[in-house]
Amino acid sequence: MKETGQLRVGFDVGGTFTDGVLMQGRTVLAKAKSLTTQDVTGGIVEALDEVLSRSEANPADVAMVSLGTTHTTNALIERRNLNQVGIFRLGAPATTAIPPLTGWPEDLKQAIGGSELVHIIRGGSEYDGRDIVPLDKQAIADACREMKGKIDSVAITGVFSPIINDHEEQAAEIVRDILGDDVHITLSHRIATISLLERENSTILNASVITVMQRAVKSLRAAVRERGIEAPLFIVQNDGSVMSADYAIDYPIFTVASGPAASVRGSVYLSGIEDGVVIDIGGTSTDVAYIVNGFPRESSITVTIGGVKTNIRCPDLLSIALGGGTIVKHEGDVVTSLGPESVGYNLVRLGKSFGGPLLTVHDTAVALGKLQQKLDVFKTNYVTHPEKIAALPKQLVEQAWMKIKQTLEEVIDKMKTTPEPVPAIFIGGGAMVVPKVGIAGVSEVLSPDHFEVGGAVGTTIAEIGAYAEGVVDLDIDDRDEAIANVTEHATDNAVAAGAIRDTVSVIDVEEIPFTYMPGKREKIRIRVKGAVL
Amino acid sequence: MTEKRMSARSILNEWGVKDFRVIDKQAISEITLGASILATGGGGDPEIGLLWTYKVIDEGKEILMIDPLDVPDEIQTASTACLGAAIVLTEKPPSGEVLNLAMQRLETYLGRPIEATIPLECGGVNSPVSYAAAGELGVPVIDVDGMNRAFPELQMTSWVTHGVHSSPTVSVDNRRNVTIIDTGDDDVLAETLARRVAMAYGGISWIATYPLTGRQVKDTSILNSQSIAWAVGRAVMRARREHLDPIAELLESLEKERNVKGFRVFRGKIVDINRDFGSETNKGFTLGAVTLEGIDNYKGQTATLDFQNEWLNLAVDGRVLCLPPDLIAILDSETGEPIRTDIMKYGYRGTIVLIPAHERMRTPKGIEMFGPRHFGYDLDYVPVEELNTSGGEN
Repeated sequence: MKETGQLRVGFDVGGTFTDGVLMQGRTVLAKAKSLTTQDVTGGIVEALDEVLSRSEANPADVAMVSLGTTHTTNALIERRNLNQVGIFRLGAPATTAIPPLTGWPEDLKQAIGGSELVHIIRGGSEYDGRDIVPLDKQAIADACREMKGKIDSVAITGVFSPIINDHEEQAAEIVRDILGDDVHITLSHRIATISLLERENSTILNASVITVMQRAVKSLRAAVRERGIEAPLFIVQNDGSVMSADYAIDYPIFTVASGPAASVRGSVYLSGIEDGVVIDIGGTSTDVAYIVNGFPRESSITVTIGGVKTNIRCPDLLSIALGGGTIVKHEGDVVTSLGPESVGYNLVRLGKSFGGPLLTVHDTAVALGKLQQKLDVFKTNYVTHPEKIAALPKQLVEQAWMKIKQTLEEVIDKMKTTPEPVPAIFIGGGAMVVPKVGIAGVSEVLSPDHFEVGGAVGTTIAEIGAYAEGVVDLDIDDRDEAIANVTEHATDNAVAAGAIRDTVSVIDVEEIPFTYMPGKREKIRIRVKGAVL
Repeated sequence: MTEKRMSARSILNEWGVKDFRVIDKQAISEITLGASILATGGGGDPEIGLLWTYKVIDEGKEILMIDPLDVPDEIQTASTACLGAAIVLTEKPPSGEVLNLAMQRLETYLGRPIEATIPLECGGVNSPVSYAAAGELGVPVIDVDGMNRAFPELQMTSWVTHGVHSSPTVSVDNRRNVTIIDTGDDDVLAETLARRVAMAYGGISWIATYPLTGRQVKDTSILNSQSIAWAVGRAVMRARREHLDPIAELLESLEKERNVKGFRVFRGKIVDINRDFGSETNKGFTLGAVTLEGIDNYKGQTATLDFQNEWLNLAVDGRVLCLPPDLIAILDSETGEPIRTDIMKYGYRGTIVLIPAHERMRTPKGIEMFGPRHFGYDLDYVPVEELNTSGGEN
């Protein structure tokens, strides 16, 4: 069946390869792989040219260009091209026991201007909306004058700003008045949730990569236009959904770790399943994600970026050391363990199938006749030394296969949140060499076509994810009304990122009680999604 | 009074105490992990207290820990702690001076200097905070506490069950507001007032409490509770480094340090969480129940636990295996990291470990104040070792 609909181009920048696809609905019209370049943009442009020429599509018909990129991650890890960041915390006299940048790696601290640019200002809110103390506007103005000419961007973090953002907004106004529009301002309540230190870290990191993202967007826009594409540009965020390029310039930190999320979303999209578990099997490891309403479940664990603890939302991924190249350790006919070591790229030298000395997961699949087609990842056939495989004891191979199956069942069960069987989507280069039949806890196993470019496909799903949160006292406030309010905030956030208001719907509602405090106070957190086209 | 002090070392010189342990960053991280495990699912996230203590150490302030038996009888000690909502603390860390302020005001009220700190409980921010306070004040930490676990209320200590009191307690906030709570021997009222004050401050208060003499510390505390937490934390961290079984290492450390046998009784996955807001009297605790479905050797069995900030009791297939004040820890089987009641989620997997409460928590008065009947169970307290005669797995 030929699908109709808009043409969308998507790219996924990985460590080694940049993948590109041209999609029409769920149909892959063309795909391309280029080597990722140092500047990232070069590889994207090459992949773009390739999909355009292969599909012979008219560039003017392209309705959306989107990409998952590592520009910001690379800059943070390499401490390269970072902005000098003026840091304001609105919270004194509270919070001073642990000043901003505590626990940061020294080189990263220096790369963004260091402690001289840190200002702890009197202000911030209590959880119930009262001021801790009135905001010290004079101190902000003085600090701005002192930092004038020394900084590229400003990060402002106020105590309890995810609940009450007044002080952050007021501070931003003062900063803008004195430093002008060229100094970019990041407000913490737009970045992350409650937990001051991690949110502050996320905010400062965001402010440090504004210019990096600005340049990336500028050069990509130019490249896209040069090729006659007038479509808007979108960037993938780390829940796997997209945001408009302008929004991405304001919130570049949301692109960190967007790659795995986009892969998950892409494979889900290709398989047509909204809820289930995605198993991405590589050569040395397997990543497992859980999908709810088409989105990867969020992790509640702090995420470390460039050596700094943050609380930006990230997909909940569980990684285990099992892949196509994982070594099956054995004593005679008895399997002693699966890995954790893998032969990795050396499979074609070290694996039994290729005349090597080691038994791997790949070899067990070959021995059991599970592999019958040539794999793209190998230049040769999947087995060059069948006599070595024929010599393997049947009992050993079957035991290994059973062990691989159990390992997969265990990791799937760990990620599930319900005892009912769920669909499982197997993707990745190693998906061909693992058991897919009779997996416990799984209703069906799917391996969609084109999953090797799942990340690029994922970027073309024209959906935006956003969230908001609030604190309520159930003794005073009406729960439904509170949820409606927070939903409205989340909707506003989705619209700011580029979503069409009428299309926004709720993905999930989370309620977290305040412990060790009398009353029925709780935090409500609501995630929404909306369409961009 | 504080300004006369030189340092923890000069105080120890004055007392003629030569044995002490220097608490460095690794030590405090090990003590904090051990304390979180002993916290019985409660206590909240210790991160802020840990970062604070690191900062105090980085500023060159020395933190020294001494054995309770070396403490002179007549000296004045006190405990410092954070009292209030854990979630507020993660958003509103303290000013650097709240502990100094609380201690100074307590000294003024008592009319004599405080020469050592005594940790209140094992768990959450309050474990490292005692050390940060000692560093800030220039006084030693005594190797004791009042629970050797965490409990939700201020009066639930071996101190109260052995006849000493939390009053006078000084409660302060970041804006230097000061409240003195002096309810004499009514420790329950002191707790009620202290919590109301914390609420009025904005959810969090910093207290100086339990002003005990050296003699009282020796007679009423859980002795060497810090060494116990330290041994547990050290064992689990070693297990992580050397890829050993953290639960086995933990149990062994308890045998060595406390000469007590813990029990590994269940391994499972959280399949149901039922949170319930406030008790009938709206005491303001997170109440609820959680169900774990057995995995591995425990497949087919079901564990249920009630919680009131901390885990309260454990039953497996309806059979009671642990009652308060004995300790319950649910630990990640691979890392030994405790699963707390405030962050547990559907699908978490863990191993349940039971640990006998310290003898000083098990006196008749203790069972009355924080045993099963106090928490609303129509059950007599039975020690965990009698409920687990088969001994669990090793």
